Amino acid sequence: MRKTATTNLRTLLLVLGFFLAIAFTFFFGYRAGRTARHVSWQNEPIQSWMSVPFVAHTHHTRSEILFKAIGVPPNPRDRRSIRDIAREEKLPVAELIRTLRNAITDAKRPDSETVPPSGKAP
Amino acid sequence: MLDQVLATLTRYGSPALFGIVAIAAIGVPVPITLLLIVTGSLSAQGSINVWMAIAMASVGSVAGDQIGYAVGRWGGKALVAKFHWMLGGAKRIKELEAKAKRWGGAGIFFSRWLVSPLGPFINLTSGLADYSWLRFTLWDFLGESFGAALFIWLGFLFSDRVQEIGAIFGDLTWAILGVLAAAFLGWKLFVRR
Repeated sequence: MRKTATTNLRTLLLVLGFFLAIAFTFFFGYRAGRTARHVSWQNEPIQSWMSVPFVAHTHHTRSEILFKAIGVPPNPRDRRSIRDIAREEKLPVAELIRTLRNAITDAKRPDSETVPPSGKAP
Repeated sequence: MLDQVLATLTRYGSPALFGIVAIAAIGVPVPITLLLIVTGSLSAQGSINVWMAIAMASVGSVAGDQIGYAVGRWGGKALVAKFHWMLGGAKRIKELEAKAKRWGGAGIFFSRWLVSPLGPFINLTSGLADYSWLRFTLWDFLGESFGAALFIWLGFLFSDRVQEIGAIFGDLTWAILGVLAAAFLGWKLFVRR
């Protein structure tokens, strides 16, 4: 009697685990598909771990423009993260990210006087 | 923690990559796929040499995996002998060891890159099962090199889309693990009938 109850409980756990694994697969599969659909046009969000040249590369902008916008001497070899720069400049990370985002938007405007990422100065 | 890890990689390059992948291989949860994709992007930007990055990622991971294997082989046996009742008894342990030996090569290779969250567990069980060190190291090196080359190359190719590519592959890894778990549990249910 007790053995039957244990067997039934094990079967129930296996069934639950099976459906849980299927739900898990669908959840992550769907999320991967949704991200893949948006990948071609979505702008890479700026994160605090990124360096200024990294942000410049992912947004097709020159790093000098971004360095100037945040008031740091331009140096393509400056690999400090945005968080480290914020700490050294005593600024909130969110504010620095906002400034970078605005600088990118300005640089991409058609009437912008800044130099395009791979082109020559107008 | 992820921010700290990626900031360290971005700032210090290859030496940081070596250290982080070795620590991750021991079992510290670091999203290694995203890390390798970011490395690829850094290579595309000229911050890290791509070949050096692949070599550092492969050798660092193999070094970390060796620690897991050694713990399983020389440190874990006493623990397992003491607590084998928790793992289903001595007979069950023998069965698991036999399975680890039978599926060892493929299990080691695929857990390096396709289902990487299983990697640290496979290292331990390979050591526990007395799987040949030479074979373990060979499959380990092949899997880690393939994984490193694949994800770094992807990061190199999609260097301005690292977060999306990292998220896609991170989710795909969990989806594959879900498929494997469902297949395993489904098979268990089938043989019980």
